[in-house]
Amino acid sequence: MKIIGLQCKVEMMRILRNPFYVFWSLAMPIAFYFIFTRVFNTGADDVQLWQAHYLMSMTTFSVMGSAIMTLGIRLVQERTNGWDKFMRVTPLPGTTYFFGKMFGQTVMHLFSIIVIFLAGFLINGVSLAPSQWLLSGLWIIGGSLPFLALGTLVGTMKRVDTASGVSNAVYMILAICGGMWMPIDILPRIMQRIAHWLPSFNFGGGAWAIIRGQAPEWSSALILLGYFLLFMLLSTYIRKKQEAV
Amino acid sequence: MNATNANANTNANIIIEMNHVTKSFKDKKAVDGISFQIAKGSIVAILGPNGAGKTTALSMMLGLLEPTEGTVRLFGGQPKDRKIRERIGTMLQEVNFMDKLKVRELLALFRSYYPAPLDMDSLIELTGLSKSDLNRYGEKLSGGQKRSLGFALAMAGNPELVFFDEPTVGLDIAARRRFWDHVGRLADEGRTILFTTHYLQEADDIADRILLFNQGKLAADGTPEQIKFQIVKRTISFTSNEDSPDLRERLMKLPPVLDCYDKDGRIYVSTDDTDEALAAIFAEQLPVHDIRIDQGRLDEAFEQLTMSAGEAKSS
Repeated sequence: MKIIGLQCKVEMMRILRNPFYVFWSLAMPIAFYFIFTRVFNTGADDVQLWQAHYLMSMTTFSVMGSAIMTLGIRLVQERTNGWDKFMRVTPLPGTTYFFGKMFGQTVMHLFSIIVIFLAGFLINGVSLAPSQWLLSGLWIIGGSLPFLALGTLVGTMKRVDTASGVSNAVYMILAICGGMWMPIDILPRIMQRIAHWLPSFNFGGGAWAIIRGQAPEWSSALILLGYFLLFMLLSTYIRKKQEAV
Repeated sequence: MNATNANANTNANIIIEMNHVTKSFKDKKAVDGISFQIAKGSIVAILGPNGAGKTTALSMMLGLLEPTEGTVRLFGGQPKDRKIRERIGTMLQEVNFMDKLKVRELLALFRSYYPAPLDMDSLIELTGLSKSDLNRYGEKLSGGQKRSLGFALAMAGNPELVFFDEPTVGLDIAARRRFWDHVGRLADEGRTILFTTHYLQEADDIADRILLFNQGKLAADGTPEQIKFQIVKRTISFTSNEDSPDLRERLMKLPPVLDCYDKDGRIYVSTDDTDEALAAIFAEQLPVHDIRIDQGRLDEAFEQLTMSAGEAKSS
């Protein structure tokens, strides 16, 4: 138990000490939020709703990014520099190591959610019922699972350059096509239909529903669960294949 | 065969046991049918040129690789077993540390992995790092400092068995001496030590047993003296005023003579027994003079072995 505790603590410290984390996960989404709610007039009918909607977009955007990129690239790094191998010759069970990573990542997501929600409140005075704040936060934490699984899939790549290039591209495509930057209404019809099947759209969709006082669609939860299982299966399969030397 | 295995497994004195171990990658055998046992308290060097299978053999002892054939036992158990790993310390080649963790934090983290770790002060002393360096991030240390930290991390669990993979590559002479001083002390405390190296001198100076690897096979196994006796060729050299192919032919026909070649303007014959070879040369009354007997040097023999491996590969 003590081992798990320390392992979690260590992983958390590592993430918070990383300046890239602060920039990509906090500064960038907050800057976007500021620009698209204060600088540009997006012509939304209901300004308050738009401000709350876009706050959810940017929070999910931030969490999705760190789940895919921070986790994925870090896993590749640890393998290429030999750390991963070194950990395998210690008595620390591999599952504890993995659990520590997931825990650190989740704490970081929680931190991102709190900071970005706070920024929304400070920048635009976004006001939601306490239950809405809480539920949307919980939805985002839970909904990050398929993206963490996608991160472990990125983590099976051989080189850091490939992993960072691929994960960046996947991240941006998912964000844009999933309506995180702009609502998908402005996309061509065919793209809109595809979007409904993307994990990013369903991830954002749950939070967008909550701030409108609705419950997330069951289909959103199921699609996210499906992606989670798919990515987990794939990454476990690839990892097993790589280890079977 | 089975009877001896059973004995070995019950013998608490045997720390490492490799039993007919082979490791193939695709169709190439990196390690080919190796067997040996390592007794408690010994300092063993796995010596061999690059590509001889040293690291592959070590990886199997560490449970990082599964042998294709044969068995590997540490303390009579599986290398992957957590209980076994708690008794082992390892320093791998070229490990960069987990980033954004300070030296102290890394030491504390590693101590938490073991049931009876070394105390923090001893570990700090083992790193040889200054107070300010202890608060730096591990990845920011210099190459030599990283190696020292790696050494301390290997010792975090107060291990009975310690593995070092090419521990002194890239270290300067002073750092190298310091490292081997530390290792000497570990051995005095009764720990078993196994290291790989391609520096012959190190194996000769430090180890009380050398496992000589060549092309995945165990080419020799014994004390440094025994190894020398096994692989070093003794030679007799002389000059001749009547050198001719005929003379060479007559030399080669002498039963004790293994080989005949020129070096530095002298004729050399190699042999297992210099006495017999001399007697044979005199009995034949060969036209030779200025005779010298040379005990080959270990590093020469090692070079020869390495070289012949290279030649064999290219042919």
